[in-house]
Amino acid sequence: MRMVNLRAPYSARRVALVLAVILVLGFLLLPGQLQNVFQQVGSPFGWIISWPLQAVAGVHDRIADIWGRYVALQEVEEENQQLKRELDLLKEQNGQLREASAATERLSALLEFKKQALPTSVAAQVIGRDTSNWYKTIILNKGASDGLQSDQGVITPAGVVGRVVKTTASTAVVLLVTDPNNAIAGLIQRTRDEGIVEGTTQGQARLKYIPLLSNARPGDHVVTSGLVGGFPRGIPIGTITRIDKEEEALFQSAELSPEVDPNRVEEVLVIRPSFVPTEGERLGVPKLKP
Amino acid sequence: MKGLIYFAVIVGLVPVQSVLLQHISLWGVKPDLGFVAVCLIGLLWGELDGLLVGLALGWAMSLFSAQDLISSAVLKGAVGFVAGVAGRQVVYLSPVVLVVGLLVVSCLAGLVTPFVLRLSVQQDWWWAVWTVVLPQACLDAVIGGAIYWLMWSRLNIEQVMSESRM
Repeated sequence: MRMVNLRAPYSARRVALVLAVILVLGFLLLPGQLQNVFQQVGSPFGWIISWPLQAVAGVHDRIADIWGRYVALQEVEEENQQLKRELDLLKEQNGQLREASAATERLSALLEFKKQALPTSVAAQVIGRDTSNWYKTIILNKGASDGLQSDQGVITPAGVVGRVVKTTASTAVVLLVTDPNNAIAGLIQRTRDEGIVEGTTQGQARLKYIPLLSNARPGDHVVTSGLVGGFPRGIPIGTITRIDKEEEALFQSAELSPEVDPNRVEEVLVIRPSFVPTEGERLGVPKLKP
Repeated sequence: MKGLIYFAVIVGLVPVQSVLLQHISLWGVKPDLGFVAVCLIGLLWGELDGLLVGLALGWAMSLFSAQDLISSAVLKGAVGFVAGVAGRQVVYLSPVVLVVGLLVVSCLAGLVTPFVLRLSVQQDWWWAVWTVVLPQACLDAVIGGAIYWLMWSRLNIEQVMSESRM
């Protein structure tokens, strides 16, 4: 390799240096403010990028669909028979649940509960995955213009998927329940012990801070506690596969197998909290003047 | 014209990185095409182009990631700037030297990232090195080397590099 110094155009180098210094200084001195500015400016820019993103995702889904329909047809007959048997069983269960649901609806209506407490949800499609290797996220095709905001819970009928961490005008980024940087308030359904569910680096989840006296055991189901975060109470998170009790530790923890496989999820529901009037708003109490 | 090409690179790379690359990931790690693009742009067209495209591409990619918006922009901008400065010092660069260079720079950028992002305690330094930094650096170097080799065999790279600095 021959090394030669070329004559440099100083103006370009100066501009580059000044820009670099300004940005690094801004990054060090005003990280929060710069973050807000970048997020605000990013929303329309994200909208522009969302067009090719959705187009590529559409083509990708189409190819995956064709592959699924015409190429990967092995063992379909056997699976079909099994599904028919399951369908019969589910029809029977469905009938029973309809009865229970009707009763619940009557009672809920009686308590005016439905109107005030049940959250609304927005259906969205998964169109991509995290652009980096550091986080486990999915990208949805709905964003701020559809009412999505940070910290809203994301679920499927099977259970919790994650929570929204970032939005642009037409897309949202969801941090998965299996990411170690995620934390969701959980509850062991049988024992009613509460804890925090975190993801692990192995792609599973872990319930931390379970009281030492809890008799939780493998096979117990963990659901959302509804205390904090964008989830109502009782949405399945996972099943306990192992309990870890260390000597002299203040708490025990449990390894969970998530109910939803985040790598295969295609459609999700984003939970939007419905407007619940405060006591003051309901009674029409005037607000204090500054 | 150059600005339009850079805009197309930024707008085109994000969908490819987030939708298609999940299928060619190795052990769950995918290459960072943004890093490769910024390195090549800095190397071939100078530090200002590298810096600006790096800032814009890092920021655009972080809009579709849980990563914070500034760190990615600053890291990619810095990589583009360094690539530009390095490119200014050489007249002839073989694909093999470029592969080694990409491997080293990708490792260095990867080692800085966990500290900048302040990840969970589970994601410690060793975990980062073995599960993300090294595999990603290898993939980046191979893909960058392949793209550069294609350009090297079809274009007069030395001429492009000298013309862009005149």
